[in-house]
Amino acid sequence: MHTVRSTIANGLAPAYWLGNAPSQFSGWVAGLFTTRDDLLEENETLNARMLILERRALKYAALASENNELRRLLNSSEVLDDRVIVADVVSVSPDPFSHEVVINKGSRDGVRVGQAILDATGLMGQVLSTSNFTSRVLLISDSSHAVPVEVIRNGLRAILLGSGNISVLELVHVPDTADIREGDLLVSSGLGGRFPKGYPVAEVTGIHKDPGEPFVQIEAAPKAQLNRSDMVLVVFSENQELAHPSRAQDDVPEATGDEVSPGPEEGGTN
Amino acid sequence: MLSVISYPVFAISILIGLVLSISLFPVGWFEFRPEWLGLLVFYWTFRAPAQFGILWAWGLGLLLDVLESAPLGVNGLAMALIAFLVLTVHQRLRMFPIIQQCLMVFLLLGINQMLVHFIKQVLGSGDSGFSYLWPALSSALLWPIICVVLDGLNRKLG
Repeated sequence: MHTVRSTIANGLAPAYWLGNAPSQFSGWVAGLFTTRDDLLEENETLNARMLILERRALKYAALASENNELRRLLNSSEVLDDRVIVADVVSVSPDPFSHEVVINKGSRDGVRVGQAILDATGLMGQVLSTSNFTSRVLLISDSSHAVPVEVIRNGLRAILLGSGNISVLELVHVPDTADIREGDLLVSSGLGGRFPKGYPVAEVTGIHKDPGEPFVQIEAAPKAQLNRSDMVLVVFSENQELAHPSRAQDDVPEATGDEVSPGPEEGGTN
Repeated sequence: MLSVISYPVFAISILIGLVLSISLFPVGWFEFRPEWLGLLVFYWTFRAPAQFGILWAWGLGLLLDVLESAPLGVNGLAMALIAFLVLTVHQRLRMFPIIQQCLMVFLLLGINQMLVHFIKQVLGSGDSGFSYLWPALSSALLWPIICVVLDGLNRKLG
């Protein structure tokens, strides 16, 4: 069934391409009418920004090697740096009830089902299906999606569910007494082996305590710009391939978290 | 009404329909996105029942399934249903004034949307309420334009 689907999707690549053509064309026209001064100015700001980032990267390299050294001393496994490729979003799901986008990199570029997708600010989602030239990405805000996360401040683990609303995520199964505050940053915990560890996912925006309920209701806002990002990163996580060689080739992206009931997971997989 | 049809117009209209059904649409109006491919299936089975029938409609529905990443065959079934219903009523449909044709479009595309919605609900996705019927309404409002444009092209090129 999946081969049929991906074969038809290969044939439909022109439709995706045409659907994206107007925005590419307007970008091209805008490029034609940019003045030299604007370009020079932009070039200068980019150069300045690159200097700042390079300085930070220098420091980061030192920190990373120190971190690896410490990890080696502690006999824990080393964290490998992830390889990424850049992709463009070419289409958004026409169904208003599912949050999916299509990117212009497919199995020809090595993209496989289950890979994590990032933008510049945080985790966006995972690859749901691939064809030769395109792949379909399920966003973290889809109501059938779940990410295992931890609070970066104290390592508290929880599951972050999509709510069907593009700007709100729900943190579930957090007990009443847990140490969590508004403004806490949630990063992917790497449990479940689906998402690489340590990427920012969301920020806690609201906590509602009801004395009658066993768990607190926590709302979080995604860090990634889910409805705005044009360019995304596809992550090739070495850890994931080593830890779950068979799961990487699974046809169905099943449970992303361990404690999640199977109910909400089913919807997005078909 | 039409004795000649033009195959290039058919192919291009279907391609445009496929592109329109995935191209960007204003976010606030997302629910009202017309069911372009359904409209085209309706038009072509209505105008040329001898050439385009249930099988064509089913194939186009499959393409829509892949584009929308719906379960494979849902839209195929719904499109085949539209084609079948149009084939049973097309002789009466020709006598109807344009307003009544619009009403028919609303009814048949409504049935199509209802079937798709029903299957998605059984499979555990989709939401409740009747908002899934908006595309049928917007398609019905578009029907006179589509009809006039494609008729004109057919006459000129067919």
